[in-house]
Amino acid sequence: MVKQRLIEVSGSQKLAGDNKMGEVFFKRFTFNQLVQHWIMIGSFMLLVVTGMPVKFPDAWWSPVIIGLVGGFEMRTTLHHAAGIGMVILGIYHVTFHLFVDKESLLERKIMPTLTDAKDFWQTIMFYLGKAEQPKYGRYSWKEKFDYWGAFWGMVMMCVTGLVLMFPFIAMNFIPFAYVHLATIIHTDEALLATLFIFIVHWWNVHYSPEVFPMSKAWLTGNLSEEQMKHEHPLEYEEAMRQMQENTANSS
Amino acid sequence: MAFISRSLYSSLKKKYALIVITAIFLLIPAASAQQDVSCYHCHTPVVTEFRNNVHYKIGFTCADCHGGSIETNASVISYNVMSGNFIGRPTRLNVTMVCEKCHIEETKNYKQSIHWEQIEKGHLEAATCTDCHGIHEIRAIKDPKSPSNHQNSPATCAKCHSNTELMSAWYYRFDTYKESFHWKALRNGYNVVATCADCHENHLTKSHKDPASSTFPSNLPMTCGQKDCHPGVKFDAEIAAGLVHDKESLHSGDLLFNKTGMNPQIAAYYLGPFDLAYWIAIFFKILTTSVIGIFAGMVILDFVSRFKMQKRW
Repeated sequence: MVKQRLIEVSGSQKLAGDNKMGEVFFKRFTFNQLVQHWIMIGSFMLLVVTGMPVKFPDAWWSPVIIGLVGGFEMRTTLHHAAGIGMVILGIYHVTFHLFVDKESLLERKIMPTLTDAKDFWQTIMFYLGKAEQPKYGRYSWKEKFDYWGAFWGMVMMCVTGLVLMFPFIAMNFIPFAYVHLATIIHTDEALLATLFIFIVHWWNVHYSPEVFPMSKAWLTGNLSEEQMKHEHPLEYEEAMRQMQENTANSS
Repeated sequence: MAFISRSLYSSLKKKYALIVITAIFLLIPAASAQQDVSCYHCHTPVVTEFRNNVHYKIGFTCADCHGGSIETNASVISYNVMSGNFIGRPTRLNVTMVCEKCHIEETKNYKQSIHWEQIEKGHLEAATCTDCHGIHEIRAIKDPKSPSNHQNSPATCAKCHSNTELMSAWYYRFDTYKESFHWKALRNGYNVVATCADCHENHLTKSHKDPASSTFPSNLPMTCGQKDCHPGVKFDAEIAAGLVHDKESLHSGDLLFNKTGMNPQIAAYYLGPFDLAYWIAIFFKILTTSVIGIFAGMVILDFVSRFKMQKRW
């Protein structure tokens, strides 16, 4: 059994010993994770902008966008460059969390559990006014779905994207029919990801009245105490408990 | 007296002006008749089109195609024009004879094509020279306005090959090309990709069942591997056969959602007993609809619930 990491809490004043508490921040994402997310945003947006005109070649906006990014050849170059960036990001992410970040794979808090299914149902009931808001730990079911959705999407997009980028090399190993399948998977998965990010993810982190205009966690990696209590009450309690233990141990 | 002479003088001046103006108006048609031969007088729109013709620009006249004589005298234009070897409007059958006078090689190739084969069989609607090159407004192939220009070739072929009344056979349909990357790139101004004539030949167009055709399965690797296209790529006939007109049109949605109404022959050709592309397309339609449906529904519920509850936070 691997020991659980201490939940990082940082504040403008030392918490221990002083009754007058300053503003406290809870570490949500490490700098490493923030940079990964920034690269993801950059490459994803570029890929959507340069990719959708080819998915919908007959739309009126298709030539407009291609003109804006500097012609079809430039579109292809940009799409390939951003795609390679995303592939490298994916490889880095998996490598880092498999081999560098030594934590037991199955005990990570991002793994989906039965509680998430219950929470999903309870959330619907909560929206209908028939239940309390579910109490979340480190990751809510929405965040877990976001992560695993992106994970599945990355695998699909990177594999099919590489096939489409080097179709004639791919054809040395797989029949052409499968290259054709790659175009279907690549574009349909892209549409799904784009819709999901623009509607659902942006609602959760931008448009929702709770965070509007945006949750600053993607820039600072921190959550305020109030946000923490509201969005991740179980983790907040855990943090408080660990902090008291620490204070007790050190004194 | 003074009054009379002044009016006479001024009316004389007017007369001169009138004479000059009349002369100018008489000279204009005379001058243009010299340029455009006498046909211009009656066939104005046609001759106007002909002025954009690449042949006009290198000195051809109407008589070079239509026969007859352009030597006219003002009184009996028609008699001279229609004299001798005048052929008037060439029919779809004999228009090749006109072009053949100079374009020997092209006509020889065309006469081996499936288009000519069909015309000889009596299907006069099959393509002849003028259908692809224009009638009076024949432009150079390099001219972007020419219907036979590389990038206009899909639209030109589509005049017949996506016309269901003209061509009932489903596998000639142009929309299969529209699903290929070639079209998607071409549509957005990337002109180096293959269009119809690059694979099917321009004059030597043959049925893909003809062993001499550039699109006959065993010839496809050579066709795709042309110098400017995919040189050095290892194709086998099966790979190359799928490149452009595969089962793509299936995924444009129309056929997919009308699956039940689909002609069984088409369905059997496209789908087969178990078609992976079809099922993957279906899978993603269901996945996308359900994921976006459920989550967008949650977003709407979330939004609406905020009006009901006073204090969520």
